[in-house]
Amino acid sequence: MAVTGHEEGFRRLYAQEAETRLGRMTEHLLQLEAGGFDAAAVDTLFREAHTLKGGAGVVGFSDVAGVTHALEGVLERMREGAVALGSDLVDTLLDATDGLRELIAVSLDGGEAVGRADMLITALRRAAGVQAGTEEPAGSGAALPERTVASPPYEPPDVGPTRTASSGDGAVQAGDGAGQARDTIRVGVERLDDLVRLVAEAASAQLRFGRALSERLGIDPQVFDEFRQLSTVLADLQNKAMRARMVPVSGITAPLHRAVRDAARALGREVVWDVRGADTELDRGVLEQLADPLLHLLRTAVAHGLEPPTERLAAGKPAAGSVRVSAMQLGSEVVFVVSDDGRGIDAEAVRRRAADQGVDVSGVDDAEALSLVFTSGLSTAPEVTDLAGRGVGLDVVRATLERVRGRVEVSSQRGVGTEFRLVVPITLAVLRCLFVAAGGQRFALPLQTVVTALPPPGGSPPGGEGGGRPVVWLGQRPVPVSGLADTLSEGNARWSGDGPVVVVGGTARLHGFRVDALLGQRDVVVKGLGPLLPHLEVVAGASVEPDGSVVLVLDPPGLIARARRPRPARAVPARAAPGPREGDGAPTSRRPRQRARILVVDDSLAVREMQRSILQRAGYEVGTAANGDEAMADLVEAGADLVLTDVEMPRLDGFALIEQIRAQPALAGLPVVILTSHGRAEDRRRGLLAGANAYVVKSVFDAAALLSIVDGLLERAP
Amino acid sequence: MRALLLTVGELWYAVDMAVTREVVVAPRISPLVTAPRAVLGLLNLRGDVVPVFDAGALLGVGGRGFAPFVVVVDVGGAAAGLAVGAAPETVVLGDLRGRSDLPGTVGAFAVTGARPGSAAAAVRVAVRVDPRVLLSADRAAG
Repeated sequence: MAVTGHEEGFRRLYAQEAETRLGRMTEHLLQLEAGGFDAAAVDTLFREAHTLKGGAGVVGFSDVAGVTHALEGVLERMREGAVALGSDLVDTLLDATDGLRELIAVSLDGGEAVGRADMLITALRRAAGVQAGTEEPAGSGAALPERTVASPPYEPPDVGPTRTASSGDGAVQAGDGAGQARDTIRVGVERLDDLVRLVAEAASAQLRFGRALSERLGIDPQVFDEFRQLSTVLADLQNKAMRARMVPVSGITAPLHRAVRDAARALGREVVWDVRGADTELDRGVLEQLADPLLHLLRTAVAHGLEPPTERLAAGKPAAGSVRVSAMQLGSEVVFVVSDDGRGIDAEAVRRRAADQGVDVSGVDDAEALSLVFTSGLSTAPEVTDLAGRGVGLDVVRATLERVRGRVEVSSQRGVGTEFRLVVPITLAVLRCLFVAAGGQRFALPLQTVVTALPPPGGSPPGGEGGGRPVVWLGQRPVPVSGLADTLSEGNARWSGDGPVVVVGGTARLHGFRVDALLGQRDVVVKGLGPLLPHLEVVAGASVEPDGSVVLVLDPPGLIARARRPRPARAVPARAAPGPREGDGAPTSRRPRQRARILVVDDSLAVREMQRSILQRAGYEVGTAANGDEAMADLVEAGADLVLTDVEMPRLDGFALIEQIRAQPALAGLPVVILTSHGRAEDRRRGLLAGANAYVVKSVFDAAALLSIVDGLLERAP
Repeated sequence: MRALLLTVGELWYAVDMAVTREVVVAPRISPLVTAPRAVLGLLNLRGDVVPVFDAGALLGVGGRGFAPFVVVVDVGGAAAGLAVGAAPETVVLGDLRGRSDLPGTVGAFAVTGARPGSAAAAVRVAVRVDPRVLLSADRAAG
């Protein structure tokens, strides 16, 4: 039967709605399995199935209608208490939701999945206790639920692959309420993309216009109220347009939960699933790119992280392992943490495997060894399963993260667990960049990949190891350094200049680039270079500046790869770099005496995580505590070389914590840095009087400043 | 066929007017690091970033390394700039006069109409360029 364009539109709309409803059903089923029978949840499932059935009938998807009808039958029997909830039943119901997705996709293409619907219906009828050839449930006189609820009219879908935008400021979650449907309209993603792009272009054009007024006519545009107002409105518009493109992380948690559950079932593991920060929002495109990496990390956590229940019990752990995904926004980034409390990664085994593959692992410490798991082909899994172990996953995770200008880091402790941290920008439409000058040209570096910027270490190239490549020291970690202009040239540029060093990358590969000057930070609209140019590994895109020039946005992973690749024509620095000098006071040339431990104390998880990330990437070991009490307990148990504390905290605040530290003879000399939002002079005075060695105000905080203070205090510590 | 006559090196080349968007005089071109030799850089064309290629280098007749004029052409919906050394001229291409073995070209054609400033209607021949072939990924990669 021919389908008109109008009908085709309805079918596509139905498919979008169905995807959302099936996602919610999956989520409810997994919650039911974890939490036991819940009448309200079963009612919700029933409503979802019923609405799907009604819509399927309207758009002519008869197979879908048949399966949803059978699904209703099972749910009705669950409501009656005639069918017991268990993992086998949940398996059947989840299979049905998967099957419905397939059937809808096939129906949408005008095809037919021969026998698929019948198989699903048979399985569902069996689950409902319906005997073959009859509509009656076995041992029951109850009718199947077709007439339990009148077939509902077709409702417009509420949310799907497109974004639901409200008339208010924020985004609207998917919901069932008819009232909400009146306040929302569906907008195609491509329209939102256009909107974001055009608004950004308008803002950029306004900057250029202001510049032209100033340069050509000698008029300062800021003297015009209208110009200032336009600036304000455009900034507001840009912010709102970008927010309209954002979706909550909860949009992908159901399939993640499902994957963890299925992997656990297949491998005989018991898993406690935990999601935190599901309402964190980020760009839809970024979130979509993250779905596969997260899925892979979670499957790996179940397959190779968590021990079997008997092994866990023998190790004094609960039989059920914990697998957690948490998301939080930190400034212009979102940090995803995928963690498990399993057996951890054996850093020594990673080293051995890497050495077998020809990687030079001499002098590689445990943290660096762990980062080798992102190397292609390297797996430490004892056996290959369908879920993981082929060594072809984590390198793809890293590559995917780099594609969205993010990074991935790993930390692990044997017997305690593993934690992967994925850091991505909130949006790709507008990118916060650090602008630098090198070789007479300006460049932009995506801020997500900038670890820190270090001041010029002196007149000569920073300390080299064994007369080889120059390095700077980040905490205890030597980071190779190249001249940015040299790296971008064809190989004949010499080491020159005495500018700062910008360290970019993630845990796996850090690299410093000497630049002529730091020019500041700014949001840029990144444009592609088009299809006519060959791929340039060091260039992520370009941006049009207010002065009309084009500035290149560099791609740090490509930049690092180019800097580390031997180039025949490459000049060697004029003379062998000197080793680190004692006592010159420059943090970049100091070789750490030992791996220092820093205790971060803050009641905000986000702040703790941010500080931990900065300090760990600088090579420090980091402990965390949520208040002064926890901090004192940690100090007694594990000790620390420096404490970084907030002031406002429950139970024991920062001032009281410092007083307690100073009162303990063993801790009296411990350097303490206060990091607080209290910037008033009297607060600063009170902190220093309490015994703090340094006082940093969060509003003016940056990673380089923090590291500089920490490095300096540890250098002077007895 | 109406065409834009470009001077590259010692020869004339012609680009179909239908794929020509505009000519930019004395453009401000930002260098594109690590790009192949035939890429001069990037041009801001009213907010769009357009790659500029050295026409001479692409044609294999010697690059100039700078761009007094850039002819912006459309290649499958994407804009590209061809840097040339003299102001382009609008002409009409006549008969096919011979073949051309230069890369990205489709033959030599007679140029009808007098050369500006020339008293006599001297016959000129121009090699017609196909920007789509000239700027294909293989050639642009150098």
